[in-house]
Amino acid sequence: MTPLALGCLLISIGLYGLLTRRDIVAVLASIEVMLGGAQLLLATYSAGVTQASAAQGITVIVLATVGAEAAVGLALLVALVRRNRTRTDQIEEVRG
Amino acid sequence: MSVTLLWWALAALIVVGAVVVIAAREMMRMLLGLGVFLLGLAGLYAWYGFELLAVAELFVYVGGVLVLFLFAITSMGRDSEGRFMERRLDLGALGISAGLGVVLFVALQSALPSTATAIGASVEDTATALLGPLLPYFEVVGIVLLIALAAALAIIGREDGR
Repeated sequence: MTPLALGCLLISIGLYGLLTRRDIVAVLASIEVMLGGAQLLLATYSAGVTQASAAQGITVIVLATVGAEAAVGLALLVALVRRNRTRTDQIEEVRG
Repeated sequence: MSVTLLWWALAALIVVGAVVVIAAREMMRMLLGLGVFLLGLAGLYAWYGFELLAVAELFVYVGGVLVLFLFAITSMGRDSEGRFMERRLDLGALGISAGLGVVLFVALQSALPSTATAIGASVEDTATALLGPLLPYFEVVGIVLLIALAAALAIIGREDGR
C-alpha cells in the first residue's frame, strides 16, 4: 500500500462517515478523517514536486487552516446544542 | 525490513482509528478512535522525516482539536457521553465513497511522482521556506485564524445576547 492508496482510503472512509452520520460531532470527526487523508497526500507527494522543506511548510499552513475549521465547526455545535439540536436532520433553517 | 513494518503498523493504526470514528456508537469511543487516528498520522509524518509536521500534529490536533471535541461533547449535557449515536449501513453512500476513492486513486496515480520512502525535512529549512517564499501564504493563514477566532466568539457570544 502506498501513501496514495492510504490517503484515498482515508478520504473514502471519511466521506462515508460524512454521508451516513447524523450527529454533528460525528460529522465533524468524519471531516477530520477526510482532511487527514488529504494532508497525508499533500505532505508525501508535494515533496516529490518541490523541496521537502517547502512541502512541510505548505502542509503546516493547511494544518492551521483545518484547525480554524474545527474551531468554527465546534463553536457552531455549541450554539446548536443550546437550541437542543445535536443532529444534522434537526437543523431546518439558517439565519444570517 | 523493520522500517517497512513500522510503516504498515502505522498505516493499520490510522485505518483502524478512522473506521472506529465512523462506526462507533458511543461518543467517547469515537473520540478515542479519532485520537488513535491522529497519533498514527503524527507517527507516519515522523516516519517520513517531517519532524515539525509530526510535532505540530501532536500539539494542534491531539492536544488542541481533540480537547476541543471533548469540551463540545461534555457541553452537550451530562448524559451525552453515554448516549448512543445512530449508525447505519447505507449501500448508496458506500458506493459513492468507494467510487470517489477509486477515481482519486486512478487520477492521481499517473499524475503524482512515486514517493514511498522517507523524505526528511529539517525544521530550519522549513522555517526558511515559511519565512521566505511561503511568507504571503503564512500571513494569510494568520489572518484566517484570527477571523476564525472572531467568528467562533461571535457565534457563541450571540447566543448569550451579548
